[in-house]
Amino acid sequence: MYKFLLAIWMAVIIVAAFLYAEAATGFPGETSRILFFHVPQAWIATLSFLISMIASAVYLAKRHVKADYLAQSAAELGFLFCVLATITGSIFAKATWGSFWNWDPRQTSIVILLMIYGAYFAVRSAVSDPNRRRVFAAVYSILAFVTVPFLVFVVPRITTSLHPENTMNPAHPGMDPKTLKVFLGSLFAYTGLFVWMLRLKIRVLAIEGLREPKFVNRKSDRG
Amino acid sequence: MMFALNVSGIGKHYGETLLFKNISFQLNRGDVLAVAGWNGSGKSTLLRIIAGLVRPSAGQVGMFFNSEPISKESRRRFVGMVAPALSLYDELTGLENMEFFSRVRGTACNRNDCFDIIDRVGLTEHATKMCRDYSSGMKQRLKLAQALLHKPPLLLLDEPGCNLDSKGIKVVEEIISEQRQLGMTVIASNEKREADYADRVINLSE
Amino acid sequence: MHQTKSGRQTTQTESSIYLNEAFAIWFRDLRSEFRTRYALNAILMFAVTTLIAVSFSIGSFRIEEAERPFLYSVLLWIILTFSALSGLARSFVKEEEAGTIDVLKLCARPQAVFLGKLLFNLTLLGALELIIVPSFILLMCYQINFPGFFIAMIISGGLGLGAGTTIIAAMIARASTRGALFSALSLPLLLPLMITCIKGCERAAIGISSAGWPEVKIAVAYFVIMITMSLLLFPLVWEE
Repeated sequence: MYKFLLAIWMAVIIVAAFLYAEAATGFPGETSRILFFHVPQAWIATLSFLISMIASAVYLAKRHVKADYLAQSAAELGFLFCVLATITGSIFAKATWGSFWNWDPRQTSIVILLMIYGAYFAVRSAVSDPNRRRVFAAVYSILAFVTVPFLVFVVPRITTSLHPENTMNPAHPGMDPKTLKVFLGSLFAYTGLFVWMLRLKIRVLAIEGLREPKFVNRKSDRG
Repeated sequence: MMFALNVSGIGKHYGETLLFKNISFQLNRGDVLAVAGWNGSGKSTLLRIIAGLVRPSAGQVGMFFNSEPISKESRRRFVGMVAPALSLYDELTGLENMEFFSRVRGTACNRNDCFDIIDRVGLTEHATKMCRDYSSGMKQRLKLAQALLHKPPLLLLDEPGCNLDSKGIKVVEEIISEQRQLGMTVIASNEKREADYADRVINLSE
Repeated sequence: MHQTKSGRQTTQTESSIYLNEAFAIWFRDLRSEFRTRYALNAILMFAVTTLIAVSFSIGSFRIEEAERPFLYSVLLWIILTFSALSGLARSFVKEEEAGTIDVLKLCARPQAVFLGKLLFNLTLLGALELIIVPSFILLMCYQINFPGFFIAMIISGGLGLGAGTTIIAAMIARASTRGALFSALSLPLLLPLMITCIKGCERAAIGISSAGWPEVKIAVAYFVIMITMSLLLFPLVWEE
């Protein structure tokens, strides 16, 4: 039921993005419309990382397998949205700044996030023992999260001085009420999409988990 | 000094293969337990679980000192282990190995204690040679020395007679009988002779 | 051997023995390394080869004066980082391969193991920097206008490199694709540090009076944070 409503809502948003809202001034042609999609994607990608990290911390503390399912699912979806955000961002960059890639702070951060996700999946695939895999993936997730403030702190300092032309901030489209409505609607739609996919993915993992032998030992984990 | 070991309901599986389940026993000072079973039955794994190197799939390993439970972090002072998979450092001499292990365990052994334990296992002439140059029998003796250095109440011996000559085997016998005064021993072995040292036997193949 | 009722050491003796154990591991690693040169060879080989390749192909004059502070800084940090990545996992991998890791798990406390291995890695990095940085400066005619800042940057960067990679080394020691995995996992964590160090060295070379040496502070902050998180998380990794 929920997913039909979501599908309809998403369709409405897509139509509204092109027909209802007006193209923002200051951006060439219709290019600002991509921001209805790009910004929510980037937002979900980052939020996903945060969720994955928190779920990892919970897993390490409590050793509930469901926390690990959440961490893994959030990471996979976060990766997907991160790729989408990178692609839509590059398209926007090409249209407005003339080149697909120029290492402005936002682009740099999204690529580093992509690398972190990639490394997280590398950890998961490299370890065969399930308990060890979960612990290592969780540890890596937390370590990666800890380096993010440095990125936020450091990268702008460096790139603003090296690439002075990238002061253009792909910020939220102006305060035009129609645009704002569509934007918020899109944000809501993407979040709904994310939550729906997340729950599906967790269910899949839980079912796969039923195949594992049942000796999941919680008490003696803590000795 | 009352040390007690309480193993309850230990089970272990690897993937879909069940190694053993519901292993329970209690050991007090003076006990010697033998763990028997076919190759691959999980004898070494059981010892590793008791030592804390491997997590069991089910059950608990409890260690108590004067009836107070011993936390996992503190167990290293109470356990000494010998196993084929436990190697010592090849690039150090026998003596250097002993000094390292005593220092890393945080025990108060000095050089003389290290020399004493090396004498005990019959490696006196080889103490200052690199372990790389040791024969397999000498390495086994050094492993025994490492396990005894801190005088642990619980001794875990996995194939203790492996690679040893008759003199070495005698040393092992002496160690096991002396250990009855200090604490307890668990021996995992295929050899009947070694299982005979024990008062009790657990057979994992049943 | 002094045991309280529950077998725990009193806190007073605990912390003092803690460092002692870490030093024992550090010195043992140093001694083994001195006798086998297992890790140092790998690191230096990589660094020297890369340095020679760079110096030979670029030489001291091909890059214009104005670009040198920045580009040389980039090259230097690439050489240092990738040399480090080729050898810093060795202390754990070697223990795993030699079969000595189980005895260490039986005897040592996880935090002591981490500190000992970290100190060893930092020693390796120190040796690497001591050899490569002056060589690089000489071969490429790298002009440094603020040597104090430059040295501080190199040192703090090295500290950060060690801190960021030691726990990863422990994680990959048992994996089959160790080398590639170590680099793949470490690089995302090291990127902020690398960017900072490159910037810092560039500024030191140019001679910009960077009040308060912000890049050094960032590198030191990175070092402190990574060590803290690693000390918290390492026992979980070690016990698996």
